[in-house]
Amino acid sequence: MNRLFSAALPLISSRAVPPLVLSLFFVIYIGIAFFTDETLVTLMAFTRKSIILTALLALIPLNYLSRIVQETARHRRIRRIMSGRSADVMPELFDETVELPATTVFPELQGRLAAAEYKTRCTGNSLAAWRGTTNFPLRILFLTGTLCLFAGILVSLTTRSVHRQMVIEGEPLPTPHGIGGTISRITLAESSSSILRRTLTMELAPSPAGHGKRSFGIYPPSLYEGHFIYPRYLGLALFLRFSAPDLPEGYETPYTLNCYPPGKEDSVAVPGSPYKIVFSIPEPAAGSDPYQSYMADNKTLGFKLLKGKELLFTGSVPAGGGYERDGYRLSLPDVRRLVVTDFIGDYGLLLIWATALFYLLAGCCWLPLRLFFPRREMVFTSEHGVIKASSRAEGGARRHAGVFHEALDLVAERGLADRG
Amino acid sequence: MSALKFIPHILSWAIVVLVLLRGFSGQRPTVAIAGNVGFTVGAAGTFFLFGSLPVNTLFGTIRSALGVSFLLFWGSSVVAIYRSTDRGVTPTGERFLGTPLGAGICAALAGLLAGAVGACTLQGGSGTLVHLVFLVLAAAVLASGARHLERLLPDSFRVSPSGMLAGVVSLLLYSSSSILRLDLFSPLSMKVMKGIHDFVHQFMESVLVPDHLFIRPIAWKLIGLLFGKEVGFWGGMAIWFTPALLVLLAIQLQRPPSVAHIRQGAQRRKLLAAAIGRQRSLLVVPLLTVVILGGAAYRSSFPAVEYWDPKPIPVTASPSGEIFIPKKGEVDLEDGKLHKYLFKRGERQARFFVLMSPAGSFTVDLDACAICKPDGYGQAEGSVICYYCKTLIPLDTVGKPGGCNPVPVQFTEKADGIAIDGITLINSWTATVRATTGATEGGK
Repeated sequence: MNRLFSAALPLISSRAVPPLVLSLFFVIYIGIAFFTDETLVTLMAFTRKSIILTALLALIPLNYLSRIVQETARHRRIRRIMSGRSADVMPELFDETVELPATTVFPELQGRLAAAEYKTRCTGNSLAAWRGTTNFPLRILFLTGTLCLFAGILVSLTTRSVHRQMVIEGEPLPTPHGIGGTISRITLAESSSSILRRTLTMELAPSPAGHGKRSFGIYPPSLYEGHFIYPRYLGLALFLRFSAPDLPEGYETPYTLNCYPPGKEDSVAVPGSPYKIVFSIPEPAAGSDPYQSYMADNKTLGFKLLKGKELLFTGSVPAGGGYERDGYRLSLPDVRRLVVTDFIGDYGLLLIWATALFYLLAGCCWLPLRLFFPRREMVFTSEHGVIKASSRAEGGARRHAGVFHEALDLVAERGLADRG
Repeated sequence: MSALKFIPHILSWAIVVLVLLRGFSGQRPTVAIAGNVGFTVGAAGTFFLFGSLPVNTLFGTIRSALGVSFLLFWGSSVVAIYRSTDRGVTPTGERFLGTPLGAGICAALAGLLAGAVGACTLQGGSGTLVHLVFLVLAAAVLASGARHLERLLPDSFRVSPSGMLAGVVSLLLYSSSSILRLDLFSPLSMKVMKGIHDFVHQFMESVLVPDHLFIRPIAWKLIGLLFGKEVGFWGGMAIWFTPALLVLLAIQLQRPPSVAHIRQGAQRRKLLAAAIGRQRSLLVVPLLTVVILGGAAYRSSFPAVEYWDPKPIPVTASPSGEIFIPKKGEVDLEDGKLHKYLFKRGERQARFFVLMSPAGSFTVDLDACAICKPDGYGQAEGSVICYYCKTLIPLDTVGKPGGCNPVPVQFTEKADGIAIDGITLINSWTATVRATTGATEGGK
């Protein structure tokens, strides 16, 4: 098992894996583009349905995970060498490694390197010198961010569920798993946020089962029973009664009206009759917010009554009131605010949001660190009559190499002098 | 005049030969012969295939080959950058390229494509066998001149394999950018625009970004920028230039040779200076590539083609709402040209055109598509072009719905003219324009 793991790890952790996998997806994307305009959606659907594509996509987070393990191990090995706890200087850990005949030059070399503003540590047969700060934590942050991004995309693609429901004031919250507590109030108000212009609050009353009062806003979306609550559009839920001279028995129905914002029309057809009632929210007074006019208090709806293609008349009817003319009667005993809401079951979102945080942290710190305090290290270990000298730099490599080469010259010079 | 058309193509070919000769410096005779043979076969094959294959198929094949070469360029630049930043990566395939067979195949393929692109200027009845012979001979003469010029270049001037590919592909793209149906940059910009639109929309849905109802207009305007034509252009520019920049970066990031084992400072510095000199000479071709790609993008964005774009003629409807356009009147509807009209009804208006297709059937379409802002269409040889996204639509597909095709309008063909329902026309225009301007101005 260990041998299998050792053989697979270099393949899985290869830096070629992400570009290769992404290139393959790109080629599939191009192929799909020849057949449909909905290229991305189609590619997502293919990936969701195909085990092979899903497994291929899963290679990317796996790759980043193994790279985190590998780079952490590499970093630990370097730290052990630098601290003198290990004399196993592997050339692949460093940019340059050379061997020179052993000499007792460490004290002089330590002084020389200290003069070049390097911090030094001499432990018996090892001398380490370094300056600057390592970018390893930022590198790990970046790799973790990328891991989260692709893991999030994978989880989101394969597990996301969307249930669109009407959340109606005074009605129980229609969660995908059943019915939640009652929505006591829906409010739309001005926001002082620099991004959001309005806030929408859906208040959930305390339930008899012991759940306390909760309110759901717009962003960040609230999590309720494993689903994110994503408000999409506003609307009206109404109960209407209609009777006409040729329809004396009348017709009544509850109806959800998608007529937001003011000016947009939605209609209710009276079954078994030629009547159709077209509703709209009247335009508010000049200067007031059309979106908030209804949500504040105004619940009067404009309507047009059609019989076949013939317009009989227009009018307006207040919530709780009615309108009567020529034997026709329309009343709205109940009108309530409504929010068309998606209940999104998708834990991949948490990973994608975490990505933003990791990238932000890594991005903010990396550039100043790389420009002003790049890590430069060199280590000299004396063993079996040989000094092994190694050097690496995360930035400022040319100047660092100059200091390293001069240090090597000094070691070689003293070696020659010692041998007489 | 035909000879003048050849100039950019044969000049590009001569520089391709120069780059190939320097890139395969050990295989000069093979490269010269294979390249010229490839060019001749490509040019002659394309010329004769125009007579036996549908024009769109042939152009589509050559454009696809150019697209594949651009993808290859991308792949090679990514490999180059990976190799420069990771010591563990070992070059593969370069040994084959150094053999006469590898060099010959590369030169022949480049020649084949360059010849095919050059021969495309002969399409449309303007080219004869004499023109073809002239093209091949002129290309051979200039290639020979390039071979002599290459010998005069200093030995220190070197070309890396990725730099060579960059040079060859950029010159082929430059050459093809003057031919409307082979141009890659404008279609690329359009695809990028659509791709970004799809991606942003999907991303916002995925991370549950609220709809415009809840967002401040300024924030929504910023999001809306991602849906515009400009994003397509700049995104296209990024994709266009990135491989060349990656090749430059890869050369710049190449690690200098290890000199730690040398104990003479002067010798170390000499070795490092020589390595830096070599590195700088490798930068020359990729830098020129950036300039050439810039030229290709410019020629694509400002093509030297004049589109037929008549001023819309105002029309009115009869009391029953019918618009009637006579076949022979102020304009001849059967002349194969696009004829634009403007219909006004109260505050609303609709712009549309009537066109007789090469197959001899009429089509009536809105001067707008279902995707882009309604900037309208112009007519070029064998196609119409959407002014907004620069997509070319072959004449025989005009009248079919979908993509960037003009939105078709129902009409009735009568013996003496075309009849269109005014209300249908106005409603169709309003719905289309509302959808496209909403989509491109920030609607999700």
